Amino acid sequence: MRGMLPFLSLLLCAVTGYSATPAEAVTLLRARCHQCHSAATRMGNLSLTSTAEVLAAKDRILSALAYTGKIKMPPTGKLTDAEAGTLKTWISEGATWAELQRSTTQQPTHWSFKPPLRPQTPSTIDAFLTAKLAAKGLTLAKEADRLTLIRRATFDLHGLPPTHAEIDAFLNDKAPDAYPKLIERLLAHPRYGEQWGKHWLDLVRYGDTSGFEQDPYLLYAWRFRDYVIQSFNADKPYDRFIKEQIAGDELYPEDPESQQGTGYFTVGTNRDMLYKVEDINRIEQLTDFVDTTSSVFLGLTMGCARCHDHKFDPLPQRDYYRLQAIFAPFQKTRVFLHYNNARGYDLSENTRTFKLYETGAQLSAILDPHRTRLRNARLAKLPPEVGVAFRTPDEQKTPEQKALFEMHTKAVEPRDDEVYAQLTPQENEQLHKIERRLISMYRTYAPGPFSPGLTDVGREAPRTYLTNGEEVGPGFPTALGGGDIPQPPADSPTTLRRKALAEWIASDRNPLTARVMVNRIWQYHFGRGIVSTPSDFGTRAEGPSHPELLDWLATEFVSRKWSIKEMHRLIMNSAAYRQTSKPSPKALEADPDNTLLSHFTRRRLEAEEVRDAVLLAAGTLNTKAGGRPVVPPLATEELYGMSQPIANAWVVTEDAAEHNRRSVYMISRRNFRMPLLEAFDRPEGVLSCSRRDSSTTAPQSLSLLNGKFTVTQSEALSKRLQAASDPVQEAWTSVFGRNPEPAERQRTEAFLATQTQHLGSRTAALTELARALFNTNEFLYVE
Amino acid sequence: MNDMLTRRNLIFQAGKGFAGIALASMLQGAQHPMGKAKNVIYIFNHGGVSHVDTFDPKPTLARLSGETVPASFAEGLKTSRIDFRKAIMRGSPWPFQRQGQSGLEISTLFPHISKHADRIAVVRSCFGDAFDHAPAMFLRCTGSQFPGRPSVGSWVSYGLGSENKNLPSFVVMSDGAMKSGAGAYGAGYLPATFQGTVFRAGKSPVLNLATPDGVNPEAQKETIGFVNDLNRRHFASREEDSTLDARIKSYELAYRMQAEAPGAVDLTSESEATRKLYGIDEPLTADFGRKCLLARRLVERGVRFVQLFFGTNLGDDWDDAHNDLLGSHNKMSKKSDQPIGALLTDLQARGLLDSTLVVWNSEFGRTPLAEGKNGRDHHPYGFSMWMAGAGIHGGKALGATDEFGLRAVEQPKTIHDVNATILRLIGIDHLKLTWRYQSRDQRLTDVHGENEFTDWLLKA
Repeated sequence: MRGMLPFLSLLLCAVTGYSATPAEAVTLLRARCHQCHSAATRMGNLSLTSTAEVLAAKDRILSALAYTGKIKMPPTGKLTDAEAGTLKTWISEGATWAELQRSTTQQPTHWSFKPPLRPQTPSTIDAFLTAKLAAKGLTLAKEADRLTLIRRATFDLHGLPPTHAEIDAFLNDKAPDAYPKLIERLLAHPRYGEQWGKHWLDLVRYGDTSGFEQDPYLLYAWRFRDYVIQSFNADKPYDRFIKEQIAGDELYPEDPESQQGTGYFTVGTNRDMLYKVEDINRIEQLTDFVDTTSSVFLGLTMGCARCHDHKFDPLPQRDYYRLQAIFAPFQKTRVFLHYNNARGYDLSENTRTFKLYETGAQLSAILDPHRTRLRNARLAKLPPEVGVAFRTPDEQKTPEQKALFEMHTKAVEPRDDEVYAQLTPQENEQLHKIERRLISMYRTYAPGPFSPGLTDVGREAPRTYLTNGEEVGPGFPTALGGGDIPQPPADSPTTLRRKALAEWIASDRNPLTARVMVNRIWQYHFGRGIVSTPSDFGTRAEGPSHPELLDWLATEFVSRKWSIKEMHRLIMNSAAYRQTSKPSPKALEADPDNTLLSHFTRRRLEAEEVRDAVLLAAGTLNTKAGGRPVVPPLATEELYGMSQPIANAWVVTEDAAEHNRRSVYMISRRNFRMPLLEAFDRPEGVLSCSRRDSSTTAPQSLSLLNGKFTVTQSEALSKRLQAASDPVQEAWTSVFGRNPEPAERQRTEAFLATQTQHLGSRTAALTELARALFNTNEFLYVE
Repeated sequence: MNDMLTRRNLIFQAGKGFAGIALASMLQGAQHPMGKAKNVIYIFNHGGVSHVDTFDPKPTLARLSGETVPASFAEGLKTSRIDFRKAIMRGSPWPFQRQGQSGLEISTLFPHISKHADRIAVVRSCFGDAFDHAPAMFLRCTGSQFPGRPSVGSWVSYGLGSENKNLPSFVVMSDGAMKSGAGAYGAGYLPATFQGTVFRAGKSPVLNLATPDGVNPEAQKETIGFVNDLNRRHFASREEDSTLDARIKSYELAYRMQAEAPGAVDLTSESEATRKLYGIDEPLTADFGRKCLLARRLVERGVRFVQLFFGTNLGDDWDDAHNDLLGSHNKMSKKSDQPIGALLTDLQARGLLDSTLVVWNSEFGRTPLAEGKNGRDHHPYGFSMWMAGAGIHGGKALGATDEFGLRAVEQPKTIHDVNATILRLIGIDHLKLTWRYQSRDQRLTDVHGENEFTDWLLKA
C-alpha cells in the first residue's frame, strides 16, 4: 500500500492538466455513479444528481475517487486518470450541470443487470467455445469412448451408473443417432427427477426437521421434495416452477398441485416450536426468505444490504426491505391436496384424540392401583424417609429427597411387565379390549392429504421499516429497474405481493433469471459454471468466462419455453460435452483450470451418488419413488451428536426393503447427517448450497473402507459373485461396467488367493474384493 | 485469500506437508502485540452454568434473597420459564472464598480450579441475546444464533493448519447428546476438512477407524494394498489430475491414522500419579478426567484445537438446574472440577501451559432469580467465563454484572470480543481471517469483535 503513494501523487499532479466539459462529467456520473447514487437509490445516503448535491459531497467524492481511504469508488474499479481528472476539474469549477438534466431512470452498467444479447447469426455451444479456444491455439478434445459417454450421461442425469445391460445395448447400437437416443431415454426416466431434484433441494435448503435443540419433524416436508422431483420429471417450464414456489397460492388458487410449490418457504430451518421467540423467529424467517429467494432465483447476494447499503453491488438497504416487505404478511399453512379427504382426515384425527383421552383414563384405572400397591410394598422395606421422598410431589421435594428419589427409583418403581403380571383375568380381558380398539383406531394411520405451504395473513400486511425507522413498501431492486407493488384490489384475500414478485422474476424481461438458471444447469454438467459463483452474479463476482455463450443460452432457454430438458439436450449433444477428460499437453499448459473447456472435467461422485452407486452395484437398490422419508438403521457409534433421544430422533423404518432406497429419500435431519453422506460433503441443509465441496479426506476413506454400510453391501455383492461362474468378470461388470483386463484379472486372482488364506474362506475373500472395488477411483470418479 | 486456500486445500487434501506453512504470519495484525499460543483446549459447559454460584459473587443477591428485583432491572429481560418482574431473588447456597495470592473470589464448588486462581482470568461481563440452548450454543460456538456458520475450532484449524499429519487438527469430545446437534463444531461454509472430528471413548476413537469385524490386520493391509494397486494403474494414464493422487494418499493417511490415533487415546502409558491426578479411577471424575487427559495428549501431539463439551448426557448436565440447582451444580462441579484442575497442573508441569490456551465457557449463565422452589432458569444477559495459559496473567476478573448479577454493566463482552481475543492469543488477527461466501469476506467475528482486552489478559 505504501508503495502506491508516490504513484498517486504523481497521478494527482497529472490530472490537474485536464479540462472538462459539464456534459462529459455528467455522462461519467451517469455511467459510473448513478446506479447507486441516484435520487432513487441514494446509497450511503448520497445522491449525485444535481450541482448542489455534488458540491455538498465534494470532499467525500474526491477522497473516494483517490482510492486510498477506507471508501474507494467506484467499487467496480478505479476511474482512469483522465476520467478522475474530468470529474475533479468539473467539481473544482463549480459542477455546473449539463443540459442532460436530472435523470430518474438509470441504465444499468453491470453486465448481469442488462438484458442478455442475442447474437445476430445462429450459433452453437461448440462455436462459442471453439472461438475462445482458438485464441489460445487450442481445440476441443476428441470425443470420449462410448463406455465413458454412457457412464457420464447416466450419472449426470440419474445420479447412478448405467447397468451392464444398458451399457451393452449402447455399445452395440450402431445407429448414427445412438447417442441422442441415449440422452432421450435418460431424460424420460423418472430417475432423472431424483437427481436434478436433489440439486434443487440443495438450493432451497431442504430438510425434514426444523433444527435447533428440539429439531422437530417437518412432518409433511417430503411432499415438497416429491413435488420438486415430479416437476423436473414433467419438465415443468422453469418460469412456471418459479411462480408455483413463490406464489402458487396467489396465482393458482384452484390448483393444489401447483400450490405445493410454496412449500419452498417452509422446508428451511426455523424455531416454530420454541416459545417466547416468535418475534426473532419471524425476522429470521423473513431474512431467510429474502436471502434464499434473491440468491436462488436471481443470483443476488442481498444479505449484505440487510444492515447497510451493499458495499459493492448497487443494492441499497431500502431495496432489501422493499423485498422483505413482500414476505411480511406470510403465514404458514397446509395445502389441501384433496379438499374432502383433508376434511375427513382432520375430523377423524379430532375424534380419535378425544377418544384417546378416555382410553388413557381407562388404562390408568386398571393399572395404577397395581402400580401403587407394588411401589408401596417395596417402599415398606426401605427406611421411612425414602417413602416420604417418593410421596412428596416433585415440585416440593427437598434436594435430599430428590437425591433419595433418584437413588431408589430404579429399584422401587414397578416396570410395566411387573404391573401386567399382577392383573386379574378380568382386567387382562379389559386390557385386551382396549388394545384391540387402539389397533383398530390406528390400523390405517398415515399422513393426511396435506402439503406444507405458505400464504398471506390477509389483504393487510404488517408494516416494514428500515433500520432508521423509515417505513418502506414492497417493491423490486432499483438497479433492476425497480418498481413498486401496488395495493391489491379490495376483494383480494391476500396482498398479491408474492404474485407480483413471481411474475417479475419469472419473466423474459428479467435480465438475471434465465442467465442464473442456465448457468446452474451448465455447472451441474461441466462442474463449473460459466459464472463460477452460481448464486452470485453481482459486481464482486468474477464475470462469465464466456459472456456471449451465457447470453445465447439464456435467450435459447426463454425461446424454448423455459424447458430445462431442452437445455440438457442442447448441452449434452454438444461436442464440448462429449469430449474426453484427457487433456492434451498443450491444453494443460494453456488452460490449466479448464475454464475454456479444452477437455471434460473429471468429477468425484457426490455423497448420494456414492451411496446409490454402491447399492446398484451390490444389486440391492430399491428404486421405489416418493413418500415419507426413510430412516435406515445406523450403527450405535454413528448415531452421535443428536440433540434428542435417539429413540425419538432416529425412528428406524420398519420395512427393511426401504433402507436401500435412493439417498434422496433418506431422512434429512437438520441436526444430524448420515455419516457416510456427511463425509462425502453432503451440505448441512441450513443455508442454500449452490455448489458442493468435493473434498478428499482421510475420514472419507475410513468411512467407505470400514463403515457398516460398505461392509453390508460388500457382503451382498459377494453373494452374487459366489453364484457367478466367473466371479472376477461379474465383479468388474457390476462395479465398473466393463471387462477386466488380463493384468487386472491376474492381480485379482492373486488377491483372492491371499485373502482366502488370511480369512479362511473364499466367501470372505470375495467380500474383500467387493469392499476394495467400492474404494477405487475408477468407481468414485466420473470421467 | 483464494490462492492461499487453493494451496491449503491442496496441502490438506494431498495429505502431505501439513507442517511448515507459516500461515499465521500472513494473518497477524501489525498494530497489537499478538499472543504466541499454538493450541487451544476449549471446555464448553453444556447446559448453562450459574455465574452467581461460581465465579461472580453477589452479596446483595444473598442479602435480598426472597424479594423481587426493582422493576427497572427486570425490564427487557426474558427467558422461557420465569417472569423477571415476579420471580424472587435467590442468593447462592455456596460461599465464595478468596483464593491464591491474588485473592480472586471463586465459590466452593471448584476447590481444584481454585488452586489455580492465580492462573485464571475471569470475564464476569459476558452477555448474549439467545436464551434457548441451541441458538445460544450456536452463538457461543460460531458467532451466530443461527446454524450453518463455521465454529471457532474450524476457523482456528483453517487459520493455523495441523502440526500432525496423522491426526485431525480439530478434535471434539462430548457424550453425544448435544442440544445444538453437531452444528456447534461444524465447518459451516468452510470446507468440510475443517469441521471438528469427534473422538470417542474406546479403542476406535474416530468413527470407522477400526477394521470391520472378522477382517484381521493382514487382510486389511492386503485390501488396502489391492485398492492402491488398482488406483495406481488407473492413475498411470491420468497423472495430470492431482485430486486422484490425493485420494490415493488419503488411504495412506487413513492407514496411518489407524496406527496413530489408538495410541493417542491409549492411557495405559500414563503413570499412576497422573491417573490419580485426573481422578480417572474415581467413578464421578473418571469420564471427564479421561477426556481432559486425552486433551493434553492430543495437544502434545500437535492437535490445534480440542473442544470438550462437558455435560452432554441427556438428563445429566448443568441444565438440571431448572428444578435442582443444588443437585445439578454439586454433581456437575464434582465431575469436572478435579479433571480441569488436573489439566492445568499437568499442562503447567509439562511446560505446555504457555503455548496452550485453556478456555472455560458456557452458552449462558443462570438467572439470579429463582425458578420454582430450587431452580434457576437460563440467563444470557450477564455471565462468566475464564481463560488460562497462553501467557495470560491470571488472578483477576474483568468487567462486572450489576449488583443482582442480572446484566453485564462494566466492560460488557460479546462472544465476538471473546473470539477476537482467542484468535489474537494464538497469533491471528480476527479481521484478516476471512472466507469469501455469498460475496462477502466472512469472519468468525462477522462485522464485530474487539480484542483489546487481550492486553489486559497478558498484562502482569
